[in-house]
Amino acid sequence: MRWTAWIVGALVLVVLFVWEWNGGAHRADVRVASADVFTLDPQRMTYMQDLRVARALFEGLCWSDPDTDDVVEGVAESWTISSDGRTYTFHLRPDARWSNGDPLTAEDFKEAWRRLLLPDLAADYSELLFPVSGARAFFAWRAEQLEAYAKSERHSAEAAQSLWHETVARFDSTVGIEATDAHTLVVRLEQPVPYWLDVCGFQTLSPVHRPTLERFSRIDPQTAMLRTEPGWTKPGVLVCNGAMRLVDWKYKRSMLLEPNPMYRGAHPAQARSVEIVPIEDASTAVLAYESGSIDWVSDLTAEFRAELVNAGRNDVHVLPAFGTDFWSFNCRPTMPDGRFNPFADARVRRAFALAVDKQALVQSVTRLHEPIATTLVPPGSIAGYESPAGLPFDLAAARAELAAAGWKDRNADGLVENAEGEAFPPVEMLFMTGNPRVRGIASALAAMWRDGLGVQCEVRSKDGKFAKEDLRAGNFMIARGGWYGDYLDPTTFLDLSRTGNGNNDRGFSDARFDALLADAERATDAAQRMRLLSDAERLIMEEQMPILPLCRYVTLYMYDPDRLRGIVRTPRLDQRLQRLHMSGDSGEGATP
Amino acid sequence: MSAMNGMSVLITRRLLQLPLVLGLILTITFALLWIIPGNPMENEGRRPSAEVAEAMRRQYQLDQPGAFLAQYAARASGIAWIAGAHPVPFDLGPSMRHPDWSVNEIIAAGLPVSATIGLGAIAIALIVGSIAGVIGGLRPGSWSDGATQALALVGISVPSFVTGSLLLVLLAAKLRLVPIGGWGTPAHALLPMLTLSLPFAAYIARLLRFGLADQMQTHYVRTAMAKGLSRREAAVRHALKNAFLPVLSYLGPATAIAMTGSFVVEKVFAVPGLGRHFVDGVLGKDITLVMGVVLVYAALLVLLNLLVDILYAWIDPRIEIAARPQ
Repeated sequence: MRWTAWIVGALVLVVLFVWEWNGGAHRADVRVASADVFTLDPQRMTYMQDLRVARALFEGLCWSDPDTDDVVEGVAESWTISSDGRTYTFHLRPDARWSNGDPLTAEDFKEAWRRLLLPDLAADYSELLFPVSGARAFFAWRAEQLEAYAKSERHSAEAAQSLWHETVARFDSTVGIEATDAHTLVVRLEQPVPYWLDVCGFQTLSPVHRPTLERFSRIDPQTAMLRTEPGWTKPGVLVCNGAMRLVDWKYKRSMLLEPNPMYRGAHPAQARSVEIVPIEDASTAVLAYESGSIDWVSDLTAEFRAELVNAGRNDVHVLPAFGTDFWSFNCRPTMPDGRFNPFADARVRRAFALAVDKQALVQSVTRLHEPIATTLVPPGSIAGYESPAGLPFDLAAARAELAAAGWKDRNADGLVENAEGEAFPPVEMLFMTGNPRVRGIASALAAMWRDGLGVQCEVRSKDGKFAKEDLRAGNFMIARGGWYGDYLDPTTFLDLSRTGNGNNDRGFSDARFDALLADAERATDAAQRMRLLSDAERLIMEEQMPILPLCRYVTLYMYDPDRLRGIVRTPRLDQRLQRLHMSGDSGEGATP
Repeated sequence: MSAMNGMSVLITRRLLQLPLVLGLILTITFALLWIIPGNPMENEGRRPSAEVAEAMRRQYQLDQPGAFLAQYAARASGIAWIAGAHPVPFDLGPSMRHPDWSVNEIIAAGLPVSATIGLGAIAIALIVGSIAGVIGGLRPGSWSDGATQALALVGISVPSFVTGSLLLVLLAAKLRLVPIGGWGTPAHALLPMLTLSLPFAAYIARLLRFGLADQMQTHYVRTAMAKGLSRREAAVRHALKNAFLPVLSYLGPATAIAMTGSFVVEKVFAVPGLGRHFVDGVLGKDITLVMGVVLVYAALLVLLNLLVDILYAWIDPRIEIAARPQ
């Protein structure tokens, strides 16, 4: 047994050693279970959980008050808009400071926005700045230059550096973003954008601390691209300007935020400390909540929802989100392999939309009783916008539409055929595996269409990456979709159906729809613009039907409303971690 | 003297093979990752416009696989550093999905966690498995043998997401003996270690039980008993040493597997270990992260197997080490 004792002894020693290496744990005032944070680089953010942390760490020029959706002052204490609606002049607070005490200036915004507009950064939200005059052209120019550089033979640090200087000069001279003095930022737009202030409040437009970034940036001689080393967003390095600051961050383990003492904005932190714990397994998150080690489960995955919601507990909260769950019709004339695509015909699309009993779906399939949707833009979410009615559930009308398209049951076999007697091709329904909710909806839809319209459906689930390839290639007849709005304007949803839009999986193209959106872009009167957008939505939600909306998305939170305070319940669910606190300790100097 | 020579030949040969093995594994991994469709910079739902998507692809040279692999290999191996072309040696690059972290940082954060759980699990498995194996091996066919074998069968067959969830509900949620999820204190590690140890313990118990039962039939053990040793004394003093050899050769790969992280256990207990990072990397097509973890895993496997061979020679001098085929 001597050697066994040796081996066990050695293993125990190693365990103890590694333990020391791992360090200890914190217990923050508020502990939040969340999906894992991908990045704290504001310009590179995409995910909801990242943006949520950014709202605490950074502050933009202005922001939308989560309770009222009004735009309120951020780093800018005031702004003026020119009479043509194209020039915005922001006046920054003279006392605005970074978390290390450095003064925050208009240049910090300009640099951040330039980063967002660099293809080098591969930022998902670059397009948000494309309304700025010259921005889109600058992005394209830089991308071309980088491509030419990659193909050329002259790869050297000097050549890459000189291209970078040229890029900076070009940005200064062609893009409508100008820091006229330390506290004034002037932005010129190509066209008036009515929701521009809302865009300015978006987290990816947050300023950056230039000296820190500079230390971690270099121009790569191989590609001539600006590279930012991973490291500038680490605790102790990251300099921020929001109500909170980053105290600790361990990869996929925990993140600790505490109030930023240098923050002198309008809404100081009410939270004492907030810890974000990434827990991906839903049952573990719920158990952690039940045992008291988590105060707020900020997003529960589908399989747990119905059981918890229908248990009638007061700490399970179902909140409608600013998003719509839908299925896409393939509008391309043929399938990619040349086969006949019945959904190229708008009458067939309408028939399928009319045949769906959405109320039954939310009651007995998802069992979450989501508000059902007949439009893409969630009704009532945008002030001044009137949603069209959309199509109801009407089987008789559905069959009439299908008959008008030439599909009738001609041989009494319960299935529809065309004039030549050919049966309706099996409907290929595509969705990603791994989501029981979607699988349930797909089966229910297939049954509704089979029984109601007399068509065969093939439910086809694929792994995420393969499903995405099929979506892009148009290799489906009907596919699962869904969309969350980015900013408070109908176009955040309607742009999906524009010809050539990057997210137009349906391959939908309609000249009238594109024209209505273009007219709305040019409209100077806000009410008229909203009417044009409403007409555009009516066109796709009552007549063309590239998209079949099912219901509003809902978000499910778990928290004890008697203990945890500060959670926002308005549609966009713009949670602000700085507001979270346990009842009893109200924090200092608390404002709304 | 000849044993020592054989040993140093073995060690030198294995260490010289290491770069070759790693290079081969790296190339295969990269090829496999390349075949998987999808773009690591894309996320669910939202998709950027064509121009932004193109910029994303070019950012990591995803449009030039050859150049990408060559540059990666040069930086990961330290050749680029030796040549002065890169400031850091053994740089596995930034994670493609988590741009704030380098793959080196992710491995440095995840490996100790997985290693702690893995080594703890192996230690538990060795103790529990040895005891169970000896009980069964001493009296094959007895009720105690049947009971330990049945338990071992359960341990091997029941998947760890079942035992993990059960332990979680029982010990953490109901009895509140240990915290649920997360990492940082010894209590956090207890359940993952236990869960992970079960299949290893069961396997060790079975290996030892059959090895011991065989050894008890050999002439030298019978001679020992004939000379007056009790069954137990004969087993502990003589038979166990030889019966343990199969367990030892199993321990090499088992330790490597346990240390590099069990995805299931890490996910159930929300433990930030390397196994979880690896699977997340594969799902998100995080090419640099997956390649980095595969490299570390392969190196560990080779080194642990080498360690087992050295231990073999130490325990059983009959084995002529350099002569053993590898």
